[in-house]
Amino acid sequence: MVPYNRSMSMLSVERLTKSFGAIRAVETVSFEVRPGEIYGLLGPNGAGKTTTISMISGLLKPDAGEVSVAGTPFWSDPQKAKRIMGVVPQELAIYEELTGRENLEFWGRMAGLSAGDARARTAELLAALTLTDRAEDAVKTYSGGMKRRINLGCALLHHPQLLLLDEPTVGIDPQARLNILEFIRNLRAAGTAILYTTHYLEEAETLCQRIGIIDHGRLLAEGTLAELQDRLGGDRLFALEADFKNASPDTWAGFRERFRVIQKSEKQLVVAAIGVRDPADCLKELLGLPVHVENVTLKRPSLNDVFLQLTGRELRE
Amino acid sequence: MLRILLAKDLRRAWRNPLPWLINLIVPLAMTALLGLVFGGSSEGGALGRIRFAVVDEDQSVLSDFLRGAVNQGQGAKYLDPVFMERADALKLVNANKISAVLIIETNFMRNYFTGREPVSLELIKNPAEAINPAMLEELLGAVVTALNEVSRNFHSAFPDWQPVFEGKADYHRVSILIDQAGDKLKSVKQFINPPLVGYEKEEPADATNNAVGGHPAASSAGGNRQSDMTGLFSYLLLGMSGMFLLFLGQNGMTDLHRELRKRTFERYQTMHQQLWPFILGKIVFAVVMLLICSAVMLGGGGLVFQIHWQNPLALAALVAGYSCFVAALFAVLVALVPDERRAGVLNNIAAMALGLVGGCAFPPSQLPEFLRDHITPLMPTYWFANTARNLQSGGGDGPWGFVLLKLVLCAVFLTVLAAWLFRRKFKTGLRG
Repeated sequence: MVPYNRSMSMLSVERLTKSFGAIRAVETVSFEVRPGEIYGLLGPNGAGKTTTISMISGLLKPDAGEVSVAGTPFWSDPQKAKRIMGVVPQELAIYEELTGRENLEFWGRMAGLSAGDARARTAELLAALTLTDRAEDAVKTYSGGMKRRINLGCALLHHPQLLLLDEPTVGIDPQARLNILEFIRNLRAAGTAILYTTHYLEEAETLCQRIGIIDHGRLLAEGTLAELQDRLGGDRLFALEADFKNASPDTWAGFRERFRVIQKSEKQLVVAAIGVRDPADCLKELLGLPVHVENVTLKRPSLNDVFLQLTGRELRE
Repeated sequence: MLRILLAKDLRRAWRNPLPWLINLIVPLAMTALLGLVFGGSSEGGALGRIRFAVVDEDQSVLSDFLRGAVNQGQGAKYLDPVFMERADALKLVNANKISAVLIIETNFMRNYFTGREPVSLELIKNPAEAINPAMLEELLGAVVTALNEVSRNFHSAFPDWQPVFEGKADYHRVSILIDQAGDKLKSVKQFINPPLVGYEKEEPADATNNAVGGHPAASSAGGNRQSDMTGLFSYLLLGMSGMFLLFLGQNGMTDLHRELRKRTFERYQTMHQQLWPFILGKIVFAVVMLLICSAVMLGGGGLVFQIHWQNPLALAALVAGYSCFVAALFAVLVALVPDERRAGVLNNIAAMALGLVGGCAFPPSQLPEFLRDHITPLMPTYWFANTARNLQSGGGDGPWGFVLLKLVLCAVFLTVLAAWLFRRKFKTGLRG
């Protein structure tokens, strides 16, 4: 892992806080996004992802905390920060009556491009988003995936160095999602710093270099996928199926010293071994527990398991 | 940037014209309906013939003369009398088939010539109609004035004339009476031609400004009736335009609601710190659409009612200023109530209230005293409607420039207020 250097940060968020009345939507959230990095903000609906992006993009003023874009505090020169960033909202913020080309050209002009530059950049983006053949059709005739691509393209006209993507693949089919994810990878390869919010585990796992897990407005953990997996105490989890209704792991002698309980339900117990140990030894110990184990599965920990351990519930709930 | 924003909105309106067409159809339909009701396309003028009943209970020569007067010449051009019994006439007026009933009561002629009892003509107006009965009443007032003048000047000769009207005098006697009347008229010739005394209908200053037709020096006899009627229509049309521009402005600014709902306004805000260009762009768009609609309403209405606009440039400038005010006003209302459904109801109420209190729907003189004296003069709707009507009635070119300035200043203030309100709402987390 490359050691963090503050001067490399394209986006720095420090102790960002926002309340709506009595509800604390975001509470002391801090993270950085570096050039050429996709930082995933993973959390369920209502976790505070959109509020965080709204504060970063200047749509909301934080109650406390600071946002810096390319090393400059956002509110010291908001217009300069806005020129650096591109924002893709979760909603399709495009004009359905206009064609794809007209939408892109319009938002290009709004981003400060000249008419000629906007036209040229629109043509580039239409090709990159594989929408050239539908460029002259009204957006309302597009499929969901095509609309999402135009929605994404509208934020890219001015070559932003920092891209904020708020759940850009919500509600589209898997193929369209793959296309968009591939496009985003290309942006990252070109050096764009990307903040990507999602509640899809797979997207965060496969797309993001670093991931922050957010829930109830708090950033619970962050790091690379491997770092987050390490929090569970290794690269393997044991899922035991048995009747755990009346079982209490605390009463099993030496169990808490050797295993960490990730999840316990009436029918299942998910545990991680503490320390580096031979899986065969672990398995032997687990089968010796004072319950009748019907099945044991050995699996690699997922982000869902990390989320489960951090919040006590599954991300999909 | 304004040009880009305007081009975008006009393109969108062109691609989806239905909401605008629906809003444009309403005033057009109202105009056409008024045209049909008042016979705007009838031959020889903008006014159709007024159908009314004459109940002649006197059956005298004088009543025959009155009947004949309304049934021939200029009278026949505008009036459509039907002669019948009182009961039948009342049935017709109750059935809304005629505008009024004129009753010439028994002994009308005898009482007129002898002067023994007050003479009266009775007019029963159709309560379901407003304009035609009022015009008949005015006409009857002129007839009564003429009869009174004849009575005052020739009363001494009436005992001699009575047998003539009763058919009891010979031609020799009639010729002597005509000679005597001619001599009397000669003595007053210098007062008649040219007349030293004219008749002008005067009303209090405030009411004069808003008088139907707005012709302060309209002649009672021999005046240009058609001019009066087109004045009436221009009065109505200008008021209606003031009212409908409010509703059209509301429709224009509904687009700002859509921009909020679709998050395109937010997207703009992620690119620009200043909100006012976007709001101003939307106001400019609404103003352009309002001007197009005004041209259709006032231009189309002018054609239907054969209205000759007295000062089209000043009127156009006033309409432009008023459109700016309307668009900016609804921008503020969008900022105050961003929820589209709730705003729809509230904006309708606001438009109705502004239109009514501003005297767009009916003359301000008809409003309750407190409103008329203290509230109405403060309403930009009143500034527009009143000044436009004054322009049309030839009431002077003086104040329209000042009114235009006031409307534009209001629009500027409201635009700034809307931008400030949006900024405040966004800061606190407005999500449309």
